[in-house]
Amino acid sequence: MEIDPLPNGTGSTAATTTTETTVTATLPTAVSNTTPSSKLSQLTESLKLEHQFLRVPFEHYKKTIRANHRTAEKEVSSVISSVADVADSNEISKDDAVLSLTSLVSRLQGLKRKLEEGSRTENLQVQNCRARLDHLESVDAENLSEWNNVRFKRILVDYMLRMSYYDTARKLAESSKIEELVDLEVFQEAKKAVDALKNQEVGPALAWCAENKSRLKKSKSKFEFQLRLQEFIELVRAENYMRAILYARRYLAPWGATHLKELQLVMTTLAFRSNTECTKYKVLFEPKQWDFLVDQFKQEFYKLHGMTLEPLLNIYLQAGLSALKTPYCFEDDCTKEDPLSQENFRKLAMPLPYSKQHHSKLVCYITKELMDTENPPQVLPNGYVYSTKALKEMAEKNNGKITCPRTGLVCNYSDLVKAYIS
Amino acid sequence: MELDTLKDAFDRVVKRQKLSSFRSQEIVDQVGHEIEQALAKIKAINDPLSPVHLKSILSELKLKLNTVGPLNLLEGLQKERNINLSKYPKLLEKSFSPDISKAYRDVDFDFHLVNQIVANHFYQQGLFDLGDCLIDEAGEPEAIAIRSHFLEMYQVLEALKVKNLGPALNWITLNREKLNQNGSMLELKLHRLQFVEIVKKGTKADALSYARTHLAPFASLHMNEFQKLVVCIIWVGKLDSCPHAELMAPTHWEEFTQEIIKQFCSLVGQSYWSPLSVAIAAGIEGLPTLLKLANVMAAKRQEWQEMKQLPVPVELGKELQFHSIFVCPVSRDQGSEENPPMLMPCQHVLCNQSIMKLSKNTSRTFKCPYCPTEASAAQCRQLHF
Repeated sequence: MEIDPLPNGTGSTAATTTTETTVTATLPTAVSNTTPSSKLSQLTESLKLEHQFLRVPFEHYKKTIRANHRTAEKEVSSVISSVADVADSNEISKDDAVLSLTSLVSRLQGLKRKLEEGSRTENLQVQNCRARLDHLESVDAENLSEWNNVRFKRILVDYMLRMSYYDTARKLAESSKIEELVDLEVFQEAKKAVDALKNQEVGPALAWCAENKSRLKKSKSKFEFQLRLQEFIELVRAENYMRAILYARRYLAPWGATHLKELQLVMTTLAFRSNTECTKYKVLFEPKQWDFLVDQFKQEFYKLHGMTLEPLLNIYLQAGLSALKTPYCFEDDCTKEDPLSQENFRKLAMPLPYSKQHHSKLVCYITKELMDTENPPQVLPNGYVYSTKALKEMAEKNNGKITCPRTGLVCNYSDLVKAYIS
Repeated sequence: MELDTLKDAFDRVVKRQKLSSFRSQEIVDQVGHEIEQALAKIKAINDPLSPVHLKSILSELKLKLNTVGPLNLLEGLQKERNINLSKYPKLLEKSFSPDISKAYRDVDFDFHLVNQIVANHFYQQGLFDLGDCLIDEAGEPEAIAIRSHFLEMYQVLEALKVKNLGPALNWITLNREKLNQNGSMLELKLHRLQFVEIVKKGTKADALSYARTHLAPFASLHMNEFQKLVVCIIWVGKLDSCPHAELMAPTHWEEFTQEIIKQFCSLVGQSYWSPLSVAIAAGIEGLPTLLKLANVMAAKRQEWQEMKQLPVPVELGKELQFHSIFVCPVSRDQGSEENPPMLMPCQHVLCNQSIMKLSKNTSRTFKCPYCPTEASAAQCRQLHF
């Protein structure tokens, strides 16, 4: 097995922090491979998995463009109607007119500055998009191991951002110098809403809905409705019945046309108290509903930003565990090198399907290497099988004698029989 | 998927957008300009204002702005932009797998386990700060045992970096028995490294006394090695002419570091490679196949969720093969305790059930599917991989 002895990345992963517990020597993280050509073709396939990597910064770019347009539209519209007001007013003096028009001119200058600022932001995002395209292009046979390492870190940062472990995400991104390749900034937008929802406040989440109104409408999202329902429930919980009803009239009624059943269900809570035992309505009062809202928000957020609905880590982990899962992994003497020898991994892999093989893949007990046509398996008189390489080495060191490591049987190298396995 | 095509498409989109942005600013400029002109006219009026004159300027301005119709122009620009900006995502969706979460199974995937796995990974990489930060933010119970194991290991490694063999020696002495059981020559290697340093920088006397104290115990088992090392004492001070110069090579430190990591991990029941990175590497290799499978099974979501075994093989690199899997070439069944692989006299291997079927459960001979040799079931012997 080829071991990659280099410390990962630039060796700066641990060196930058100041506590004495961090150390610069690091274990190899990614497994490196030995056959360049098959690796490269596999690489092309694996690059196709990187849709999110390119899509997210582009969606962000689009968002900035839209926001800049809205700013311009709003301001210009306001200026034009002000002009109309001034023009239509009957008793306006010269000084007043001059004052008004001057203020309008300065407003437009302000707008121009804002648009220039917006343009600069757009440029930064364009750079980010380009940097990511360049990053995908940069991988080749020489830096493959390094590049895979970076990919692994990107996957970890994505997981932590989605789970709201922002500090850890930022630390990892900064120490590995991959800030451009991860979406720290995008998730800052989510942070506000998520934190508020965890504090049982819907304000920022509603603001987010307003900001993205048209796109949410296009995808027929009912998230805003769910937020409003929760606010209603909170009013009922506090026994503010009158306010609750007014609230419902204003904010819930418009959704009645499309989501009548849900509306009815929640409105009925008016008839109950928050500590009701009636299961159908009790569940609506539980704090778990807020967790549900957090999850909903995240799903809507991911959709809007071009991200996968599940963390990348989970997707790759499930795929890997399934590909590695064999009945032998669960035996007591499973080699420690197999991740599935560990309890955590075994638990995760429980509901996942086993891998399937169409051809025999045999691993030498001694060297842990594959036994194939270049290194064929040889059979001892007791039926135990080891690789030619291991047995030859053993024979050379021991005057042509072979000792089976598992049974202790001693025999001659000449007693061995080759097995032909396709 | 050609990255060049993507880059070109992206550049085109950006160019158009920049133009569009420029035109927006031009429109704003135009509005400003019109207002400024009107302003200038108003300021230029001399007589104590006849309201009519003022009013006409203002009306003219209002009319002018209506004609220019900046809002409509801006709207038009935005519509163009939307078209421009929709091309690139379509290209992205064509060139990449648009949704890799299709291969995700909606099963019980406990994120607490994932958090612990990630934290352990950080500890194994020596990133103790990061691991602690994660445990803290995630509110997971501390992984005290694993953390302290790896902390100890990294302290040894850190010392090794400055050629301080003290902590390493302590650890090796403590675990001498287990190391010997594993057949590791770690202790000898350590003393060898130390000895070489003395030979390089110290006196003959120092080297001799070190050899007597620390190398001698290994003499009986590793006479060859011992002899080579002792001989080097003669060349103290004239190391260029030493015939065993390869013993002085700095690569031995790297080798020693790697070996001690291996032994350390083995003794505390951990793997050399971070298990998370192995699992992810397997995932990266396997995901394309699984996505194809998921796409094919798109209509059978239930079956996808509940399958006990993948219906297609996922090819993994040989460093990701941890177990011997025998697949009978005749029945395509996997070897197991109940159905073990059997070696036929012709040296081909079939599973037991296939042999039973071919021999029709009697002692009659049958022909091997691969070669014309005849054999009987009794002549086949069980293999242990």
